Parts: sequence; C-alpha cells; structure tokens
Amino acid sequence: MAHELSRRDFIGRVGALGAGAMVLAALPLAERMVAADPALADVSLDDATLQAFADTLIPGRKADRTDLGDEIHPLAIAGVDPEPGAVEADSLRVYKNPLVGFSPALVGPFLADLSTRSLQQGGAFLTLSYDQRVAVCLQALDFSNGDRVLYEAAAAVPFTAFCAAVEHPVGTDQNSSGYRVMGYPGAAPNGYRSFSYRRKLSAERTKRGYLA
Amino acid sequence: MAERVDVCIVGSGFGGSISAWRLAELYRAAGSDPASILVLERGRRFKHTDFKQSMHIDHLASIYKLIQSSGGPGTLGASGPQGCQMVTANAVGGGSNLYLAASLRAPTEIFERRDHNPADGPDRRVWPKEISRKTLNGFYGRAEHALRVNRPGWDRVSKSGGLWAATLANAGHTCDRVPLAIDPGRCAEAKWCHTGCVFGAKNTVNTNYLASAERAGVRVRPNRQVESVRRSAPNADGYRYVVSADPMDNEGENPTRRPTGTAEEIECKVLIMSAGAMGTTPILIRSQKDLPSISGQLGRHLGSNGDHVAAIEYDPKKVRDVLGLPGYADFHKGKPITTMTYDFYVGRRAHRYDGTRFNLQEIFLSSLTNFLYDDGRDPAGEPSWWGVQKKQAISSWSNRIELLAMVEDTHDGEFVAPPPQGSSLQPNAGPVEVGVFSYKPSEQSLRVRELADKAMAQIAARDGLGRFMKLTETQGVYCAHPLGGCRMAESKDLGVVDHRCEAFDNEGLFCIDSSAIPSSLGVNPSLTIAAVSERAAAGLTARAHELGLPRRPPGFKHRTPAQIVGERRVPAKI
Repeated sequence: MAHELSRRDFIGRVGALGAGAMVLAALPLAERMVAADPALADVSLDDATLQAFADTLIPGRKADRTDLGDEIHPLAIAGVDPEPGAVEADSLRVYKNPLVGFSPALVGPFLADLSTRSLQQGGAFLTLSYDQRVAVCLQALDFSNGDRVLYEAAAAVPFTAFCAAVEHPVGTDQNSSGYRVMGYPGAAPNGYRSFSYRRKLSAERTKRGYLA
Repeated sequence: MAERVDVCIVGSGFGGSISAWRLAELYRAAGSDPASILVLERGRRFKHTDFKQSMHIDHLASIYKLIQSSGGPGTLGASGPQGCQMVTANAVGGGSNLYLAASLRAPTEIFERRDHNPADGPDRRVWPKEISRKTLNGFYGRAEHALRVNRPGWDRVSKSGGLWAATLANAGHTCDRVPLAIDPGRCAEAKWCHTGCVFGAKNTVNTNYLASAERAGVRVRPNRQVESVRRSAPNADGYRYVVSADPMDNEGENPTRRPTGTAEEIECKVLIMSAGAMGTTPILIRSQKDLPSISGQLGRHLGSNGDHVAAIEYDPKKVRDVLGLPGYADFHKGKPITTMTYDFYVGRRAHRYDGTRFNLQEIFLSSLTNFLYDDGRDPAGEPSWWGVQKKQAISSWSNRIELLAMVEDTHDGEFVAPPPQGSSLQPNAGPVEVGVFSYKPSEQSLRVRELADKAMAQIAARDGLGRFMKLTETQGVYCAHPLGGCRMAESKDLGVVDHRCEAFDNEGLFCIDSSAIPSSLGVNPSLTIAAVSERAAAGLTARAHELGLPRRPPGFKHRTPAQIVGERRVPAKI
C-alpha cells in the first residue's frame, strides 16, 4: 500500500507541470538538509550519476552521445531496453537548466542521499547493476521515506526530458528520441491531411453542439 | 503625478479585451477619444509567427504560468504541492492564446445550481438571480459572432475525437461535435493549439476584440505587472482609483520575467480588473487595506471548473475489428477538441442531481501529460510508474485518447495571503510558480470525479476496446480553467461583485473575468466568461455617464468586432 501511494503521488504531481513543480516541492527539504550539513552545498554536480539515475527511471539502449550531442558516461546507461531512453533524450541538460531549478539547489542533498543508499547496495550508484539501481530507487521513492520528495524531483526530470523534449527549440521525432519512441512527430509545420475518419461516428444529442 | 486615463483595464484576456472593445465603440459613437482607455498586460505581445510548435522550456516560460497551491499560509510549499495546480496564460490576449477554442454555452442547470461547499453559506441559488442561461443567451450569441464560433462537420472531426464518438456509440451513448473558435480555412490540423497557433487559425482575442479595440484607438501596454490598487484622494475630479504597475523584464535574451522596480501609477475613473482568477484576486487581496469596503469574501471560492482528466489506451486491433476504424495511431493529428458526450448530464434537471452531473470531452493537452495517467500495469516485481514497464507504456502513447471530464464540483480553493509581488511566488524565470492558495476538494468534488472515472472506465472496457487510465486524485486537482476568487453573488456577504461584475460598495471597480464566475460550468469556460463579460460591458456602457465616461448616444448599437489576423505562417500544401 505504501508503495502504491508513492506511485500515485508521483504520477499526479509530475504530469501537469513537469520537473519544475517537483523541484519547488523539494526546495524546503533541501534547504533544511543543507542547513544541517553545510558540506552538502559543496557537492559537485555529478553528471554520470545523474545520467545513471535518469536511465533507471526511463531506461534505454547504450549510447555515446545524447540527441543534442552531449557525452554520455560509459557506465551511465545499463542498456536494459532496446530503444533510446531518458539519457539519450538529454535529461542531464534538464537537470542543469536554471528554468527548472534542480541545480544547484537540490544537487547536493540528492547526490549525498543517493550515495548513502547506493553504498548499502554495494557501491557507488554508477557502478551498480540495473537491478541494484532499481532497488535503491524503490527504497528511496517508497512512501515510507520521509525525504522521498527529493527523489520525486529528480525523477520528474527524465520524464520531462523524454516526453516533452523541453531542451529542443523545436522538438521533432528526428531530433528527439523521446518523441520518436512515443510515435510522436512533434512539430507539424504543415499540419496533416489524414487527420479525420471523415464520417459520422455516433448519434448526436443536440442541434448546435451544446445543451439547452 | 499619476498618469490619468478614463478607464484602466488590468489584463488583456477575454474579459479585458471585450471590455476594451465595447468601451471603444462607446467612445467612438460619443465622439470621444478611446486613447483614454488603457489596457495593462503582464506578459509580452506575440505575433502568430512568434509562437512555436514546441515544448521548449523557454517558450513555455514566456507564455505560461503553472501555479501550484501552497500547503501553508504564504510559505513556499510548506507541505508540498498538495491541492491544485493551475495553468494560466501570460501574454497579450491572455488565455485566448493558449485555449483549445472549444466554445460552448453552459447548460441551463448550471445557473440554477444550489450545491456548494458546506462552509459556503446558506442554501441558495449560487449565481445571482439576474444571471441565467436565458438572460445570457443574447450575450453568448454576441461572443459567438465575435469569436467566429463554428461547428466542424464530421469530416473535420479528428481521428481521436472520432474514436471517442465511435467508442461512445459502441457503448450505447451519443456524442456531439463541439463548436470551436477556429477558422476552418486556416487550420492545418496540426494539434499545436496549446503553445499558440502559428497559423493564425485560432480565433484569439488578438484577432477580433483586442485588435479592433486597438484599431479604434485603445492603448495596450504590455509587460506591466499590476501590483496594487488604491482609492484616489478625495476630490480627485471624478477619478476613483490609482493603479501601481511595474514594468516587466520579459523580452530579449534570458529575461528574468521579474519586475524591474520602476513603478508607474495610473489614475482612472473606472478600473476593470481582468487579470483572471489567479491574477485579479491576489492583486485585490494585496490592496485590501486601501480598499476597506471590499467584501470579506475576497480570495475565497476559488474553483477549477471541475476539470478532471484521464485517458484510454486502445488496442488498435479492437479499434479496427470492433469499431471498423483502421489506422488509429493518430493521437497527434487534427484539432485538440472535437467531440464530447452530454449523456451524463441530460435528463437530470432537478436539484437533487446538483453536484452529480458531468460531461466527457476528448482532448489533447500536450505530450507532457503522457505520464500523467496511471497505466495500471502489474508491477511483477518492478515498479510500474518508472522503469522498463513504464517505458513500454509511454511507447504506446499514440494509441491513446485523453479525456476531460468537466464535473459539477464545488469551489474549494482559498487564497491564504497575498504574495509580495505578482500573483504567486516565483523561484526562477521558469514557468512554475508557487501560489498562495490552499485547495482541499470537498466530498462532493471527489465523489463526482469518481462517478466520471467509473463512467469512462465502463465505456472504455466495452468489448475490450481499451484500458482506462486514471489520474490520481491523492494530490488534488489539475486545472486549466481557474474560476472565482472574486465571485459574483446576490449580496456582499456572499460575494465580491454583483451581477454586473461591479464590486459591492466600490463604485467603478469591476472584476470582468474568470474571477467573477461562481461555479464550475460543465463545459470549457471561455465562452461563458466572454458572455458574462459582454453582459457586464453592456451594463457599463449603459451607465457610463454616471461614472464620468461619455454618455451613450441614442441609437447606439454594439457591433461585431472585425477580424484582424495579422502575420501568420501559411502551411505548404502537402
């Protein structure tokens, strides 16, 4: 039951607003964590670990470069899915985008907590197998974890990158692997011709389309 | 010394633009200069060609505000984003830039409703007695003409809308085509209304009311965030209110989207607040100490229009075999709204049905909502909302339709404090902000959403057509149609404005926008906001001379604003 609540929490919170909303939700917690341990503010952005986390949420095929040409750490993608995943869809850029705000506010508290949890599974998150990474995330995102909002914020990023191509000025299935996997062409500068079945498909109740 | 104008309009969406045009007509007819009507708009001005078919976060930040309720009084999410998340617009033309153009008259029963939040006063009709579907019909018609509302034929219904119609028919229900404020000759069926129409096909107020008002001489000043209003000093020559506005840094590379700190003051005889439920209300709350006679109901009864979204994921083989519709993988083509059913509304006229009715509309929100719905797949040792299984669910996106239930809920939100500036707390230049309102759905609001879920699930399941995908309600409501906060009512103890949208005990102060709407509407609200605004504007022009504005000349008639489309993209013929 606890797990179910966490799942519903997350889906509901992220869908409408994307990563930004989740980041806002996690800010107070991050501020409290940094106040308790000021060293957290100095934790550097760890690109490879953030990529590995994104791959755990929306897994993908092995790749060297993202859609926008950024480098992918060789250990980041576990390779458990045959199609492109969130790393290839430039999740790291979203983590770093100031309009989202994950970095720098949440980076220290998130990576420090992730590191602690990963060591309990046997090593740094980046070095864990996919199943071990899933185990870390299952624990961290469980409703019983009082700090789970940090992980929800971190988890919102790959979904936003993958489903909305928010780093692309004009996202299409040619430049955005998320759109390609979804079967979504993205921008349609000339629209579509075959958009309708062009026939009546139900009885109608009103004359003008609205109720009296 | 404040700049002086006759009329200051705060906000340029439906309410502000309709007011501007109707007053411009009056000024022209009376031989006065409409330049004394000034519209202030927080956002920047866009041509159609400035819009992008893109979810690029900078584009979203320039046109949208996504406001989540705060958990506590004025704190930055003290208990997280519980309650409600509101989508609002931020540009000249307001919400009309982003709406999906469904233009529907609200059913008769809506205006007769007596249901309301338990803490919301005595048993009564929620709307003022002067407002009914009958009294609004003429104003609905006026708005329909101005917005060029038309009803697409079945040959213009999208495949996703057609699939919804066929699904309903398969389950024994009816389904109607939805009237739209979209030019059928210019629409390219690209389904990119939600980030601004690059084709100039969507009939925003920038193509009719506001464009005509400007052509007549009304001045529109973009990039101005109104922070507060106050009463003019005594004996101010008929001027009643002073508006304080800050220029905004909205333009150029990397705008901060914050005030620049160089305040302007505008003094006016008539002040029309048209910044919407999420704009007008915080401004007036912040101004409350300087408007001591405003109703104590200010900031209460914030609603979501009963918005409730869900999805159906179809089995393409069943779509072909059961419904006889080949080739469905076309969620992304056509207009974003084309069909809806009224079967869960009609035949329930009596008050015992108040709060139980809803309408179900096929809608396309954006690709981002792909993961809004709980796919319900069995975890089988893995999480279903992330990981391998969720990846598979996301991949089937094109075989879905999205549904918007508009339910008869109660207005459950309340502003708890004014933010220091603007309408909400702004942590960065991005699109997401933290509102200073709480939102706790009432039992009725939850129950009627459950009824809608049950109906959608049953329709989807018939003959195994598809899988119903539910939106969680554990965190509240997702809303693109904020209403209320300055609601109209019979009396000051129940609301902020009267049936004419004028604030009780504050002559010359009007709230002509969504903030005045006192209940959810059962349909997309833009046309009702427009009709209520038309009615308020007609009332205002009729008694303009009492407020120090030009007298309406004999024989004066309101006319339909011209259609002025402007620069737009013309699609190649493919």
